[in-house]
Amino acid sequence: MTVLKTSMRNFFAHKGRMALSAIAVLLSVAFVCGTLVFTDTMNTTFDNLFKATSSDVTVTAKGSSDTGETTSRTGKPPVMPASVLGEIRTAQGVKAAEGTVFSTSVTVVDADKDKLSPSSGAPTIVGSWNGNDARTMKITSGTAPKGPGQVMVDADTADKHHLRLGDDIGMINVLGTHHARVSGIATFTVTNPGAAIFYLDTKTAQQNLVGRTGVYTNVNVTAAKGVTDEQLKKNVTAALGRGYKVQTAKEVAKANQKNVESILNVMKYAMLGFAGIAFLVGIFLIINTFSMLVAQRTREIGLMRAIGSSRSQVNRSVLVEALLLGVIGSVLGVGAGVGIAVGLMKLMGTMGMHLSTDDLTVAWTTPTVGLLLGVIVTVLAAYLPARRAGKVSPMAALRDAGAPADARAGLVRALIGLVLTGAGVASLYAAATADKAKSGSGMLGLGVVLTLIGFVVIGPLLAGGLVRVLGAVILRIFGPVGRMAERNALRNPRRTGATGAALMIGLALVACLSVVGSSMVASATDQLDKTVGTDFIIGPDNPQNGLIAPQAVKAIKGTPGLTRVTEYRPALADFTTPDGQTLRDTDITAADPTYATDLRKKTVAGNLKDAYLPDSMSVHEKFAKAHGIHLGSKITVAFKDGATAHLTVRAITSSDEVIDQGAKYTSLATLEKYVPADQMPLDALVFATAKDGQQAAAYKALKAALHDGHPELTVRDQTDYKQALKDQIGQLLNMIYGLLALAIIVAILGVVNTLALSVVERTREIGLMRAIGLSRRQLRRMIRLESVVIAVFGALLGLGLGMGWGATAQKLLALEGLKVLEIPWPTIIAVFIGSAFVGLFAALIPAFRAGRMNVLNAIATD
Amino acid sequence: MTSAVTTTRHGGTGGRTAVAARARQVVKAYGSGETRVVALDHVDVDIARGQFTAIMGPSGSGKSTLMHCLAGLDTVTSGQIYLDETEITGLKDKKLTQLRRDRIGFIFQAFNLLPTLNALENITLPMDIAGRKPDRAWLDRVVETVGLAGRLKHRPTQLSGGQQQRVAVARALAARPEIIFGDEPTGNLDSRAGAEVLGFLRRSVDELGQTIVMVTHDPVAASYADRVLYLADGRIVDEMYQPTADQVLDRMKDFDARGRTS
Repeated sequence: MTVLKTSMRNFFAHKGRMALSAIAVLLSVAFVCGTLVFTDTMNTTFDNLFKATSSDVTVTAKGSSDTGETTSRTGKPPVMPASVLGEIRTAQGVKAAEGTVFSTSVTVVDADKDKLSPSSGAPTIVGSWNGNDARTMKITSGTAPKGPGQVMVDADTADKHHLRLGDDIGMINVLGTHHARVSGIATFTVTNPGAAIFYLDTKTAQQNLVGRTGVYTNVNVTAAKGVTDEQLKKNVTAALGRGYKVQTAKEVAKANQKNVESILNVMKYAMLGFAGIAFLVGIFLIINTFSMLVAQRTREIGLMRAIGSSRSQVNRSVLVEALLLGVIGSVLGVGAGVGIAVGLMKLMGTMGMHLSTDDLTVAWTTPTVGLLLGVIVTVLAAYLPARRAGKVSPMAALRDAGAPADARAGLVRALIGLVLTGAGVASLYAAATADKAKSGSGMLGLGVVLTLIGFVVIGPLLAGGLVRVLGAVILRIFGPVGRMAERNALRNPRRTGATGAALMIGLALVACLSVVGSSMVASATDQLDKTVGTDFIIGPDNPQNGLIAPQAVKAIKGTPGLTRVTEYRPALADFTTPDGQTLRDTDITAADPTYATDLRKKTVAGNLKDAYLPDSMSVHEKFAKAHGIHLGSKITVAFKDGATAHLTVRAITSSDEVIDQGAKYTSLATLEKYVPADQMPLDALVFATAKDGQQAAAYKALKAALHDGHPELTVRDQTDYKQALKDQIGQLLNMIYGLLALAIIVAILGVVNTLALSVVERTREIGLMRAIGLSRRQLRRMIRLESVVIAVFGALLGLGLGMGWGATAQKLLALEGLKVLEIPWPTIIAVFIGSAFVGLFAALIPAFRAGRMNVLNAIATD
Repeated sequence: MTSAVTTTRHGGTGGRTAVAARARQVVKAYGSGETRVVALDHVDVDIARGQFTAIMGPSGSGKSTLMHCLAGLDTVTSGQIYLDETEITGLKDKKLTQLRRDRIGFIFQAFNLLPTLNALENITLPMDIAGRKPDRAWLDRVVETVGLAGRLKHRPTQLSGGQQQRVAVARALAARPEIIFGDEPTGNLDSRAGAEVLGFLRRSVDELGQTIVMVTHDPVAASYADRVLYLADGRIVDEMYQPTADQVLDRMKDFDARGRTS
């Protein structure tokens, strides 16, 4: 009981000193809880949406995906004849059945040819207005569409693009461009996260999306009273026989949900991973805080021991303080987490994804996980300092403060650290020289973990060396103030090491990823320069939501100034390889023979041009090895929705190039021989090459032709393409840096914490220095310099370590075509300079407080 | 006045007046109204140049407060304090810090040294802070005088309490301040080490012409001084020239007895 009382008193007496540790716990817990609440809320939103929008039983054509989405490689949705409606109606328990037509392979533009598709990655859906959708949508202005000239738009899309009744809309798909005027605007009664939806009347939808009437993509079946969905499904299946997909509302919702969940899970685990890094960094902060509290209280603890407290009582009293810290930090963190979730939802809103706070979902597991994590991590982090407190001898009460450093422990620590670092470096070396990517990546992971732990362990040792070097290089300029800052940073190498290590973790990841990212760009650019023999690459802006319609290919081919145009068409087929294996739904790329010139891929056997001969193909090296394929081997290729061919392998391409890695090529003519025209997939890309000296004019002409007729397509020359690649990787890196910012913020708090506590610890010294004439400015500068030294120390370790990791990863990935190592020096130098500023910034408040101390009181402090 | 602050002076050797510091009608009060406590009550005092002055008095008499005010460590409620011709009351922190750095030396009872600096670095610290080069010959003489020549590279933790105080004395002397203030500089030392330190202070007055003001409650320490000031209830109640330890002790017993009867 007394232990608890002492702990409580100590805790509240030093609450200022605990504040930053509490914030670190709060931030980490908040991030975890925020992630959980946010993803749960997204799940709820989609769940509600899918449940509300599905009819009791949905019947779709066989080729449709489970989610009921009707995209296909042909640009036209799979359909069923209208006669199914009659058959379904004969089934028992059917109250009503309504046929509908939907497609997601449509690009919708306004009168200015600006696309109306969501930028969030949500689908654009064009379909027939039907009774099922009328349950979840209300027409809020105008009327339902009637006839070929009318379209109804969902309210969110109308708002975002300022569409009004009567506005002209263009719908572009494989069948051409259809114009219509907005006849009505319909509002969702449930939360629609962001799909853009356009309704036509059924006949127009059939004409525009499929090209003929009398067909449906979906039939929504309603159950009669007292008939369960499962029963209805059974009855409908019995009535229709095979050849159709029949799903209950639950099944449709589940399939959709699974689709969404897999995306959400990636996001969730990525964010939790970053929260974990923040926790890791926070541990250093907590250890430092408790170590300093214990050191400051050495005499007090000695007194407690002298008057009869047991070791474990002292130990426990420190742990109870940690428990209090953990509980307070975590409780606040859980609250802040909900705030973060709402913030994320708002952020999503600005990116075009609508989420409603009505759906805010806080599962009971969320606060539980947050609290447990926060408390356990805090108490574990405080364990070492608590043990040290227990070891304080009763004699400490009598001695002057300041226990002598344990030299032997330092030596043991250094040895362990060196062994770990050595083992880590060895693993990294093994990874860099590995000849198989798979075994190498394990070594890489091991090396990263070992070097990280090793650096943390020998951090204090490194602090001694590096701070001296920094002192000699930078601090000398600042004279005695610089020297004192150096000595202060060196005074407790363990503390400096831990503070620097916290910053090191975040920065190492930044450095590593930036090296890998820029190596990716450099390698791809290098390869583009070496292998690409064409001028222009044409493709849809949004590959998920569009392919290249034949009339667009025609438009490209008709552009003046071009010598050749190559079509690039991915198809699917079931392969039967010479080793007897059958590989389902395997990619095969059909292209014009000129593709061998457009992309000069290396071959390890044969000539790539021969792969475009009739009934021929190429495979890549790895595939060939895995399935015992040689030049001249025959592969049985059963094209999806087509006939079965026996193709002869006439070239084997090298596997270590990043562009079009692992592609198997055949000619368009071969594909066309086996796949009927109405099942023919569309082109994914078209390559165009200009006549010599006409590149600029041809580029202009292509751009003009596509903008007018096919705004869904983008043409890029090599420069644009490289830039797009760079932007894409840059965007990804920025997102990761943004998430790493959390860990870095916690590390910065750690620097502030260390300085603030050192200032408190050195109150008397500061008083003395002020008494003998150190000015406030000099004092503040001294503290700032100490802070900068700690931050720069952490940055040097982190950047060094990270660049090492990055370079190793590149060497390993060279096996996969990442041939060029590029160190992004501007980024590295910016991070380095930035961390010096972080040091300055972190010292602001501690330096200010030190400067404000009353000299006499400071001297008199015990 | 500004120029006076920044001018480097040499203790005892170049002073213009016979008075190194003076206090005029100095009042120092804490709190207000009912809880008002007067630590210094209209104190007038002149500190003679080149002399060793001891300030004595019972606990709470205001002796430390007087020293802190004279040294520019504490502010006064009213009255003026001059260091030579410079009025230090009313100076801003920046000027006051410079004044302490360039013209005043300090020896505290304990914790005089920075643990991160060795003995020599501690001795030259005030000059380092000021960005001045120490006078090599003078520094050698001071180090010689306090007998630290063999221990200059030692850290404070490697020195005994007496040695630490000697380093503090050397630091105070090294910059040739106009006045050295000592706040019970021997309070934490045994009598032998204390005698050593006091001997050095005495010699620095006799041989180097240093001005020293020391707060103490030890009659033996006070006997090293040229003059003893007695404070009681914030007022100077008596003084004594060329004291001996016995005389000081008698006088103090006197005060104690008076204090008890009044």
